[in-house]
Amino acid sequence: MRRLFAALLLTTLLAGQALAKDELVIGITQFPATFNPAIESMLAKTYVLAFAQRPITAYDASWQLICLECETLPTLENGGAKVEGKGIAVTYTLKAGAKWGDGQPVTSDDVVFSWSVGRHPQSGVASAELFRRITRIDVKDARTFTLHIDRLTFDYNAVNDLRLLPAHLERSRFEAAPAEYRNKTAYDQDTTNPGLYNGPYRVTAVVQGSHVVLEPNAYWPGPKPAFKRIVIKAIENTASLEANLLSGGVDMIAGELGLPLDQSLAFEKRHGDRFTVVTKPSLTYEHLDLNLGSPILADVQVRRALLLALDRDTMTRQLFDGRQPVAHSMVPPLDWVHADDIAQYPYDPVQAAALLDAAGWKTGAGGIRANAKGDKLALELVTTAGNRSRELVAQVLQAQWRKLGIDLRVKTEPPRVLFGETVTKRKFAHMTMFAWYSAPENVPHSTLHSDAIPSAANNWSGQNYTGYVNPAMDRLIGSIETELNRPKRKVLWRELQALYAADLPALPLYFKADAFILPKELKGLEPTGHQDPSPYWVESWRWE
Amino acid sequence: MTRTIAFRLLQSLAVLLVMSFVVYGLMGLMPGDPIDLMIAGDPHLSAADAVRLKALYGLDRPWTERWLRWLAQLLQGELGYSRLYARPVVEAMGPALLNTALLMAASLAVALVVALPLGIAASLRPGSLLDGAVNLIAFASVSLPVFWLGLMLIVVFAVELAWLPAGGMAEVTGDGGGTLAHLVLPVAALALAGIGQYARHMRAAMINEAGHDYIRTAKAKGCSPARVVLGHQLRNALIPVTTIVALEVGGLFSGALITETVFAWPGMGRLIYDSVMGNDFNLALSGLLLATAMTLVGSILADLAYWRLDPRVRRTP
Amino acid sequence: MRAGAVILILLTLAAALAPLFLPAPDALDLAARFAPPSLEHPFGTDELGRDLASRLLHGGRVSLAVALATALLAAAVGTGIGLVAGYHGGLADAALMRLTDGVMALPLLPLLIVLAAADPAKLGVPSEAMDSEGFAVGRLVMIIACVGWTTVARLVRAATLSVRARDYVRAAVAMGASPARIMLRHILPNIASPIVVATTLSVGNIILIESALSFLGLGIRPPLASWGNMLTGAMDVVWSTPALAVWPGAAILLTVMAFNLLGDGLQRALDPRKDAA
Repeated sequence: MRRLFAALLLTTLLAGQALAKDELVIGITQFPATFNPAIESMLAKTYVLAFAQRPITAYDASWQLICLECETLPTLENGGAKVEGKGIAVTYTLKAGAKWGDGQPVTSDDVVFSWSVGRHPQSGVASAELFRRITRIDVKDARTFTLHIDRLTFDYNAVNDLRLLPAHLERSRFEAAPAEYRNKTAYDQDTTNPGLYNGPYRVTAVVQGSHVVLEPNAYWPGPKPAFKRIVIKAIENTASLEANLLSGGVDMIAGELGLPLDQSLAFEKRHGDRFTVVTKPSLTYEHLDLNLGSPILADVQVRRALLLALDRDTMTRQLFDGRQPVAHSMVPPLDWVHADDIAQYPYDPVQAAALLDAAGWKTGAGGIRANAKGDKLALELVTTAGNRSRELVAQVLQAQWRKLGIDLRVKTEPPRVLFGETVTKRKFAHMTMFAWYSAPENVPHSTLHSDAIPSAANNWSGQNYTGYVNPAMDRLIGSIETELNRPKRKVLWRELQALYAADLPALPLYFKADAFILPKELKGLEPTGHQDPSPYWVESWRWE
Repeated sequence: MTRTIAFRLLQSLAVLLVMSFVVYGLMGLMPGDPIDLMIAGDPHLSAADAVRLKALYGLDRPWTERWLRWLAQLLQGELGYSRLYARPVVEAMGPALLNTALLMAASLAVALVVALPLGIAASLRPGSLLDGAVNLIAFASVSLPVFWLGLMLIVVFAVELAWLPAGGMAEVTGDGGGTLAHLVLPVAALALAGIGQYARHMRAAMINEAGHDYIRTAKAKGCSPARVVLGHQLRNALIPVTTIVALEVGGLFSGALITETVFAWPGMGRLIYDSVMGNDFNLALSGLLLATAMTLVGSILADLAYWRLDPRVRRTP
Repeated sequence: MRAGAVILILLTLAAALAPLFLPAPDALDLAARFAPPSLEHPFGTDELGRDLASRLLHGGRVSLAVALATALLAAAVGTGIGLVAGYHGGLADAALMRLTDGVMALPLLPLLIVLAAADPAKLGVPSEAMDSEGFAVGRLVMIIACVGWTTVARLVRAATLSVRARDYVRAAVAMGASPARIMLRHILPNIASPIVVATTLSVGNIILIESALSFLGLGIRPPLASWGNMLTGAMDVVWSTPALAVWPGAAILLTVMAFNLLGDGLQRALDPRKDAA
């Protein structure tokens, strides 16, 4: 009862406050290419559409899978999911009252249509994995349907990638010419059509390259959002973006696509009185992939010494105000399967030197270590050009390793070269620094399994760029994927992290933190730290 | 004259054709394609997805074949779809073109309004303090890195004084005043960078004319100094200045890239940069060819202006 | 002109003597980031606690080296083309001048972006060669020179045309000297001054282009410092530490101005008839 009262009070307050501030202007650094939820994956699109489009399921701010557009999450325990043969059948019921912005209900037919678009080879959908796994959809009624999935994995009920398309508007466009659909979709040809959006807001105006205007969707069944207008401005140049914030051109900067952390921290120091800078460590894992095929790095003792020689704590404290936690494996601390009790490598130059001596790398001329053959301990690091904090960190690594007689050469390449060629074709000599961006409890199959080492033979597929091969790791990955029992899975996850920390196919650095710069008056925005952005909960944002 | 122009037009077409081929080839030399980048950003994307998407966008074909196909399309008046903007190239380019034209016209007007009087004033008393000052301003203006100038303008006028918006196009609430306020800083940056050049050209042209006999004759005939300067000298001195302005316009068109970046102005320079970096062949080619065409047209116009304004040239076609 | 020469001499001296009294440009100190100016760091420190003055001077070396090399290369190419066109005339002249017109019509900055983004590995450049810092600098030089030779080519052609008609050239032709010898021995020395002037004037422009490309992340890349990429880094923190952006920009302005003043002065000195234009 007290809760209900509080909610009522809140609603009245909200109504009063909405008068004070009707429009919220959000700054981001990228303009979305297409507005179609299914075609191409791009952060700016995901962000803008999060106000206007709701997927069936998503991860919430505490990284738990929840229903957004369905009634309850189907599980094996509650009977919503049933094992059938090697696969599983999962039954969802769409949320009561869910409607598109033109008043048409969201139905099972939309689900079937979205699936048929996704699995069509010419539709232009980026990741077709989920659509391939769904072999059949049975429609029970207008709101209830069953997905038949061809394999049994622990995340069987996560259908976050199944983005809903309104069949009543899009079907004719798609069926007329599937290969042309990505150009003819109403999302791009008729972007302001209210019927395209099922979220609390709908897109009402688009100025290409500049901004998108969102206004409330009259048919949204959930709680009314507080703002009458939300404007999302794209300003690519971060210094201009910051200037816009200061001059009132934008009210807030979204962390999902905002300022680099060090710029945000500098901002906080000067304007902490007017703005709140909220940082949340995300699951974006910043690390050094090592080329295990190189003679120097094939030796695990050298890899351990390299990590021991880095003062990552000081680095994150001085450069990032301690906001980016030091990583010990690829599983972030906020993930429920994170394990603490694995090998960690705190800064220990003495032990690092001892390990290097033992591995045959003795201090030689000019203070650079060399082995018995006279080869120098010289390594090359390739990273992305244009990413400021990465360029800075690379130079810090260089200085720290130099102290132990390790020579590091830093090379930067534009992302398209690095990811299009150097990393994907394993052309980096020793190490490369970049980040993995994934979902909560993401099984590192494509990055650690021995069947995912890219090579000419497999057409450079897979992302095990280090060339890491360990049958124990392969086994662990396989059993985690199919282990449905959570406590048992957590044990397996701990083993996997321990093995990773012992073998060190990559050197963990830290988990990146997104910085949200918010006006003091804005309340209720909760950063998620993963790929499902904060506007999925825009109904709870308010101005006080 | 008609023959000359026809020849120049043909030559321009040849330049455009070669240009499109070279640019296509160069973009083909850029490592990786958009799909490779997509894979790097999304661990869920499988190799099969990549192969499917490449075939879908025609990226699995050799670039010469794609160029020929593009050319054939172009001859039918079809510019194709922009992959980055998910709309026809014409639609993607239209607004950017208008934005850049607005920026260009405004900054050129401001630059000329300031530069021409400065140049004339300086030319009247060569070696004077005023001449020295104009000269110094002119040198500083041509030596300024325009992106740095933009940055400094933002620091002073948008942040410290908070008089003007720091970037973007218009207030979204959208009345005309908003656009005007947003124009001030980028126009100021571009105009400041152009003033020096125009002032120097104006001064040089004026001094050049002053040495001619007809000026001496006019003076000897007892014409007032004002009439000599404005009526005779200026009229003739404007000829080379006009030519230079016409030549500049084409360059300004794509040269505003940096200014557009600093001020987040959604114009052609940005569009070309983004489409080149994003491997959006259709858009990049159309944008680059348009920019080249502008320069070519500018130089033809410069010739025409020269021909119209200078009777000596007209008499000997 | 004197002002320009003095500035350039001072800059060169400072860059040469920098290691004697300033800390190394890559000596970092995370505890002293964004430090204000002090005795130890006359211009303060940057985002990694490196000495800004030292980095400015080292960045200046790179920017100047690139600009000078590019200007010389472009001048050499332009002179060659201009000489051949002007001396031989006819078809060669027509073809070369149409080429010059064509290159001049190209939109400079977007074209440079395309060139800078292209992958030399796809042209068969071995990857070991590509890894050196020298290669990165050399590549930038080549790219800018590719489009920067046109002014000199036009100047040289015009000058060659006028020199070719002079008596001593005709005499050399009559004596049976080879065209190459005539061009190098008789024509080139007589057209040297416009080439020198144009080259000097182009240095300033090239510094601006280099800084713009580096600013866009396509020119000189960190950890090698250049004025352009120092500005890129400073851009992010321009509100908190404007000094980081002010100094490299001021350095560019000063240097470019010095070259322009020098070029202008040379022009007056070498060709008194023509006023600065």
